[in-house]
Amino acid sequence: MDWLEQELAQALARKEPAAGFDGRVRARMHPRPQWLAIAATLLVMMGGGEAWRQYHQYQGYLAKEQVMTAMRIAGSKLNRVQMQLKGTEQ
Amino acid sequence: MRPLLTLALGAVLAATLWAQQFKFNLEHLSSKASHSFDVSLNTSMLQFAAKFLDGKDPDEAKVKKLIVGIEGIYIKSFEFKNEGAYFPADVEKIRNQLKAPEWSRIVGIHNGGEKSNIEVWARNEKGKVTGVAILSSEPRQLTVCNLVGNVDLESLSDLGGHFGLPNIPKGKKK
Amino acid sequence: MIGLTAARQALDFGELMREHRAMVFSVAWHFLHDRDLAEETAQDVFLSLHTHLADIETPAHAGFWLRKVAVQRSIDAARKRSRRPQVALEDVAEPSVRPASGDPMLGGMLRRLIATLPEMPRMAMILRYQEDLDPAEIAETMGIPLGTVKSHIQRSLALLREKLERRGVGER
Repeated sequence: MDWLEQELAQALARKEPAAGFDGRVRARMHPRPQWLAIAATLLVMMGGGEAWRQYHQYQGYLAKEQVMTAMRIAGSKLNRVQMQLKGTEQ
Repeated sequence: MRPLLTLALGAVLAATLWAQQFKFNLEHLSSKASHSFDVSLNTSMLQFAAKFLDGKDPDEAKVKKLIVGIEGIYIKSFEFKNEGAYFPADVEKIRNQLKAPEWSRIVGIHNGGEKSNIEVWARNEKGKVTGVAILSSEPRQLTVCNLVGNVDLESLSDLGGHFGLPNIPKGKKK
Repeated sequence: MIGLTAARQALDFGELMREHRAMVFSVAWHFLHDRDLAEETAQDVFLSLHTHLADIETPAHAGFWLRKVAVQRSIDAARKRSRRPQVALEDVAEPSVRPASGDPMLGGMLRRLIATLPEMPRMAMILRYQEDLDPAEIAETMGIPLGTVKSHIQRSLALLREKLERRGVGER
């Protein structure tokens, strides 16, 4: 490989998708339509325990996805600073 | 009466410990953005979310450990189709709040070629880090973060590197 | 027969996703140069894997299958999106941003240059330098003749060298 090919191999090195990717794929495998959330809320109000459990799970999944995305954003900015500093030091 | 007042003030103070530590005032950019991310997670939401983080997933396990010391996460991030959608004054209003005595700038990176700027600020109270602010501006992207609590910057940076950097190839990748 | 069944039973969807998500996402991202669309495309690939898991015989087969589907889905996604018209290789416009200094900037510039190549040469270059495939493997993955693959790579490299030299970026 000449210098350009080596640079290309580095530039095109694999990159992980955003945090929570696996969860997002699984959510599409088992989609929860809005009507289900509404139905679950109604059942909860009528005293449906299982519906509450499912709704609770769904809310938890959403909260988790928010946390993962937030950490990705903040972490990537910090990492960029770190990489720039390392580049300066070198 | 006085003990009640003290109790009430204590409750208010405790409730606001996890609250956002400076104002973003960026709502006006939402309508201009092609993509935006807006999150406000207080302690109870973080604790709730932590229950659903899978300890067997390496990424989620790292985040679960990281948020133990964090009491609040507040982020607004915008992507715009064109340059000039936000003004330097929008960022300056935030920066002015960080000039308060309890805040100090840890590092600032400016890249003239890409016209990008990232600043990291830390909030210190009684010798302890109680918050972090990250301001990141590019011609078509603006991100402001406030992480409240004792933030492990190094771990968070490593996490960001894992998420964002390419895997270093080790020989033939088949 | 028993061995094959055992191998199939050992295929865990979660494990396959963890092992190959970087490869799938990166093919899409380097090809489409759009993070959201690349994420969506990568998700589609794994949803497709879930549907066809019973057809996958071994972990190695899964990797090959995923790479092939990632290539197909990325090309499909680009065709649906009407962002850039197809141009001849020689007429590809240069990005407006030039590297200020150092390798990180060059990497970004190379990625942008790759993203402006026509579809087939672009994918051939990604499979060559991201996945380290040889031309025969690229031809099999993309379903095009070996000679075409070699031509795509040679011409793309020549064009990249020419554009970089014009910017004063060359061999160190």
